[in-house]
Amino acid sequence: MTKRKWHIILPFTLPSLLLFLVFLVYPYGQAMYISLTKWRGLTPKPTFVGFANFEKLLGDTLFWNALKHNLIYLVSIPVITIVISLYLAFLLTHGKARFRKFYRIAFFFPQVMSLVAIGVLWSFIYHPTIGVLSSIAGMLGAADPIAWLGNPDLALGAVGAVVVWQAVGFYVVLFMAGMDSIPESYYEAATIDGATRWHLFWQITLPLLWDTIRTALVFLAIGATNMFAITQTMTQGGPNRSTDVLSTYVYERAFLSGKFGYATAVAVAMFLLAFALSILTMRATRRETLEY
Amino acid sequence: MKRELSRRNFLKSSGAIAAGVLASQVMPLAAAQGDLPFEVAPEAVNPLGLEAGANVEGIFFEGGFGRSYIDNAADIFRALHPENEMTVEGIQQVSEILRPRFIAGNPPDVIDNSGAFHIPMDSLVADEQLTDLAPLMAAPALDTPGKTFGETLFPNSQADGVFDGRQLYLNIAYTVSGIWHSQTLFDDMGWQYPSTWAGMLDLCETIKSAGIAPWTYQGKFPQYMVFGCLMHLVYKTGGIQAIKDIDNLVDDAWKSDAVMQAITMMHQLADLGYIMPGTEGLTHTESQAEWLQGNAAFIPCGTWLENEMRELTPAGFDMVIKPVPGPDESSYHSLVAWPGEPYIVPVNAANVVGGMEFMRCMLSKANAQFFAKEISAIMPVFGGSEGVELSSALQSALEAAEAANGGFNYLSRGWYSDLWTAVKNATGELLTNRVSPEQFADTVQAAADEVKADDDIPKYTHA
Repeated sequence: MTKRKWHIILPFTLPSLLLFLVFLVYPYGQAMYISLTKWRGLTPKPTFVGFANFEKLLGDTLFWNALKHNLIYLVSIPVITIVISLYLAFLLTHGKARFRKFYRIAFFFPQVMSLVAIGVLWSFIYHPTIGVLSSIAGMLGAADPIAWLGNPDLALGAVGAVVVWQAVGFYVVLFMAGMDSIPESYYEAATIDGATRWHLFWQITLPLLWDTIRTALVFLAIGATNMFAITQTMTQGGPNRSTDVLSTYVYERAFLSGKFGYATAVAVAMFLLAFALSILTMRATRRETLEY
Repeated sequence: MKRELSRRNFLKSSGAIAAGVLASQVMPLAAAQGDLPFEVAPEAVNPLGLEAGANVEGIFFEGGFGRSYIDNAADIFRALHPENEMTVEGIQQVSEILRPRFIAGNPPDVIDNSGAFHIPMDSLVADEQLTDLAPLMAAPALDTPGKTFGETLFPNSQADGVFDGRQLYLNIAYTVSGIWHSQTLFDDMGWQYPSTWAGMLDLCETIKSAGIAPWTYQGKFPQYMVFGCLMHLVYKTGGIQAIKDIDNLVDDAWKSDAVMQAITMMHQLADLGYIMPGTEGLTHTESQAEWLQGNAAFIPCGTWLENEMRELTPAGFDMVIKPVPGPDESSYHSLVAWPGEPYIVPVNAANVVGGMEFMRCMLSKANAQFFAKEISAIMPVFGGSEGVELSSALQSALEAAEAANGGFNYLSRGWYSDLWTAVKNATGELLTNRVSPEQFADTVQAAADEVKADDDIPKYTHA
């Protein structure tokens, strides 16, 4: 490369490179360091303790409890969200539904609201005495109001359902866009050969949409390893830690117990998990991209 | 705008204070300092030596007590020191917002470190972040002539803020906790507040048959049942020794006969179906609203309840607080009372003297009277309710506190946050009949053992 080229490349890349270093690489490095210290988060001088925090983490039942909930979300939320989204998107694309545009906007609507607003909204829906769900359960003959967010057996599912509800709209729109770009002639040809809707979906739509679904899986998987905003708004990890996830546990240890070093160790574990997951998902779902 | 409003409030209240002062015949003789509605002795004007022009930055938790009493204290400060500016900022997420300031070494001059998201005091103490308030305690009080600031505060109301002989924080509220009911409802139904736990269970049966749920509690935050019921029962069954054993992490403290009896007594409420169905799914304000609507007869809480729920309280509700009844009548009066809403002056603040001087205004008699009148809450300041017309709630709280001779407190709440998180969670499980009293004791004892074994947690003693 000639010197002259650098004159052009540097001014263009330097700003973004700097931003990347200052706001991404440096904080990550800093976090890695803090995870190796004992720090109460009040003075600028953490005490170095090596891998003690990570050793402690392995024996911490609360950590494993939170991780378990993340894993439950991880296997359920992406699959459920994608199945529902694909179904709705396929219906809207091929079902010749009236008010197609209206549905598209209606499904997408939760996506434009902030997660905190959604959490508050759903807390009312789940409200045991004045909530819509309890009223319905009452009409169906439930004797006592159901405390959706107060019952450790129900709370995790209740929070997860909100995330699915919120996410579906986005993926419906994403999948619809993907489906729209599949040439109509493929479907016509298949229909002439006697293919049913079911066949059309499995043999044409799904294979040609695979790249989009793959991306959706990664997004949703990363989302399921976080879950902070919605959990913190709706349950704060309760009742009795039944909805604790790694991110709320990090928050509790850092800001409420004042154990920043340990909390950062949990956060680093969380980062590794999310990182490994995205690589795994991409690897596991890698297929030859179909050109059309 | 805000400033103007608070000024107006201030003037309104200062009129009332002046009337109160007149009524108690403590007529000031000399001219007042600036706009102040009360007399300040010359030696009490600036005993700490605040430099003119040194501004004071205050950041305060704004919760159940609101911020009007803080603005009122700031107005007193401004009137007292016209040369110094004072800023007041109200926040909720104390820990998130102020930690970066501590780490950077420029914390504000005075902080109300309260609320669910406060910075743990044990961390602040361990990292030497707090100013020793000895000069403030020894300084002349602002509006109680002849007394030092420290002498105007209720005895023992600041004991939990003393670490190794140093006063490191000051509690500005005196909170009584217990069981609340509507006097109007009880009068209408002909119910009498019971004097024993057996009587409580009998009354619950009566209330239940009248179609009202006897109890509710702050569902998602079961700690209200800990400080509003369980710890009262522990004291009533095992005396102060049982409380101290828990505080001092004595082996198997949670499994002693007395504590087991207390746990079992509280569990009876759930076991016998006296808790409003759906309670565990409610937040604190939601459950308190249910109670105000008459859907439940009793709710545990501290004295901030009246102010917190003011806008939702039906006229003529007449809420009153009573002690938790014990196994027999002799133990009826005791209750958990604690100084709360701790204020700190960071040692690295730019204007430490200013922070302390603000505390002298905050815990002045005039501001205590404002607190009683406007917030219906108690400051641990002598003469703080003089000349103030009290609400039924505040009246009942003062009576209960007096009958309990100030009440007792368990101190480890501020020391071992992990232990009390475990107690809170286990209480939620116990009150929804998901664990037995024995399992409760096992879980909590395990958490206490873990705290005891953790060398990273500094240990303290409830003497």
